[in-house]
Amino acid sequence: MSAPFYKFAAFGDEASLVIAFVIGIGFGFFLERSGFGSARKLTSQFYLDDLAVFKVMFTAIVTAMLGVFYLSWLGIMDLALVDLVTTNLWPQIVGGLVLGFGFVIGGYCPGTSLVAAVTGRIDGMVFVLGVLAGIFAFGEAFPLLKGFYESGDFGRLTLPQAFHLPYGLVVFLVVVMAVGGFMGAEWVERRFAPRAEGR
Amino acid sequence: MSTVPDAAAVARPEPGAPARAAAPYMNPYLGGVGLGLVLLAAYVAMGRGLGASGAVTSFVAWAVSLVAPGHASANSFFAEYLDGGLGHPLKTWLVFEVLGVLAGGFISGALANRLSRTVEKGPRISVAGRLGFAFAGGALMGIGAKLARGCTSGQALSGGAVLNAGSWAFMMMVFAGAYALAGLMRRQWR
Amino acid sequence: MARPHWTLNRALAAVAMLLGVVAIAGNPHRGSTVRLDTQELATIVSSEVDHVTVQELADWIIQGRTEYRLIDLRSEDEYAAYHIPFAENVPVARLPGYGLGRNEKIVLYSEGGIHSAQAWLLLRAQRYPGAYILFGGLEAWRDEVLYPVVPAAATPQETAAFERAAQVARFFGGGPRVAAGADSGARISLPVMPAAPGAGIAPPRAPAAGGPARPGAKQRRKEGC
Repeated sequence: MSAPFYKFAAFGDEASLVIAFVIGIGFGFFLERSGFGSARKLTSQFYLDDLAVFKVMFTAIVTAMLGVFYLSWLGIMDLALVDLVTTNLWPQIVGGLVLGFGFVIGGYCPGTSLVAAVTGRIDGMVFVLGVLAGIFAFGEAFPLLKGFYESGDFGRLTLPQAFHLPYGLVVFLVVVMAVGGFMGAEWVERRFAPRAEGR
Repeated sequence: MSTVPDAAAVARPEPGAPARAAAPYMNPYLGGVGLGLVLLAAYVAMGRGLGASGAVTSFVAWAVSLVAPGHASANSFFAEYLDGGLGHPLKTWLVFEVLGVLAGGFISGALANRLSRTVEKGPRISVAGRLGFAFAGGALMGIGAKLARGCTSGQALSGGAVLNAGSWAFMMMVFAGAYALAGLMRRQWR
Repeated sequence: MARPHWTLNRALAAVAMLLGVVAIAGNPHRGSTVRLDTQELATIVSSEVDHVTVQELADWIIQGRTEYRLIDLRSEDEYAAYHIPFAENVPVARLPGYGLGRNEKIVLYSEGGIHSAQAWLLLRAQRYPGAYILFGGLEAWRDEVLYPVVPAAATPQETAAFERAAQVARFFGGGPRVAAGADSGARISLPVMPAAPGAGIAPPRAPAAGGPARPGAKQRRKEGC
């Protein structure tokens, strides 16, 4: 049976919800393992003495990217059936900026705030309330935002397509960028390590 | 060194503090591999990535529909998440995934003695101030996530792994925005 | 300062670089070669379980059913001139790469039956179990749904049955026509593509208020990410 299994009707919607729960457990587990239930650790990324956010995120991306690539190359997975959120460039750029602001102001992102809330962080719980409020406000304002929200529609666009490069080459470049970034991150952390602290 | 959490280094007199010291965090590269494998499992099983903000949106849409059903279905944004007749708005893949996130986060925290009722903040800000910023940051996050059709888990992580152009652009802007405001927010964290 | 995990990190980095370098030569897109089980396909063809009649399709549209996808295999110009309501335009050449799910019900139609039958084979070869052919294609749609022929010297039952067919025809923008005679040989033109089927006309069987929902919308309620 080929992957993605759900798209080949290997199981139905009810089973997929169980799978969602199990995968979610793994997700939350590794987020907390990496310390992402702590706003102080998360925001240390932006003060350059603890770049765990960068390391975890890009290791995860590279791992999954290599997995998807090799499974597809071996013919076990059908890349055409993998969901790709359409690229709406302008709202995604602006949304990213706003999300970045929210990240350093609030100290979490939606996924990590859930982990923080469930491990007792009150600021995490308040953050989740804030996310609810923000989404509600967005929904209410949606008629005004609809035009911008749907602008810059490039459809399903991948980096290989956008830059007219072979998929495998882009995979290689991402790996190089990530490994180079990690080496740079180690250097930056040493450079900006807080002085006079017994860590 | 960043492997020992701040919790062990900074004194916290709250009654919720753990009796034993919190365990050190996992090597970030290993944590990343673990996270990446979970993400890969989602792609292999379902053909989709992870997410968080979508589940929160379903919850918001459902709550609005309880309080003001006519208004909810008239609003094209909420209505999309309700689409009556296709099942309960909370019976989505993401909602169940998020329930799993809560469970998994709790399990990991419990195993590592990192469960504690506390407020994460720097020494130079009050609890009230921190909570105010937490709410404001969350609200900005909610708006940004909906504009971009996803948050860091859904867009950056999941879209990044399948080389989605919009996701990579989004990811870079997140870092840009956060670094841009980091100086202003230093008082909150350091 | 001691740096834990140094050798582990280096090992991870080395593995990643190796996999990255090997990836340069790789191609993740599935080749277009398939394997066919000719006996299995011959059995399916002779059993004719893979057909959908135009009357059934008309009923599905009127009932507002959404658990199928309707694919129009003709060119973009032909599609723009007229297409069956809620059809998606996928010219035959683009079909193999088009994102169809293997757990979906896919109804294929073309002008007659040739392209739809060939496309059916293409999908079947790629292991899409839910591919169906609209029997008779657009010609049958035109002759039996849009412009059904008034039977000459009809019995009362036939007339009553035909009345429903006439209602369906008007719903889709057509109407009943008299048999043979002046029409034979002349190509019946298709109606102008209406904005929505049955606009302003009461449908034969009342669907949900507001008209049929879009096919393909089945479990595609928005989930976000």
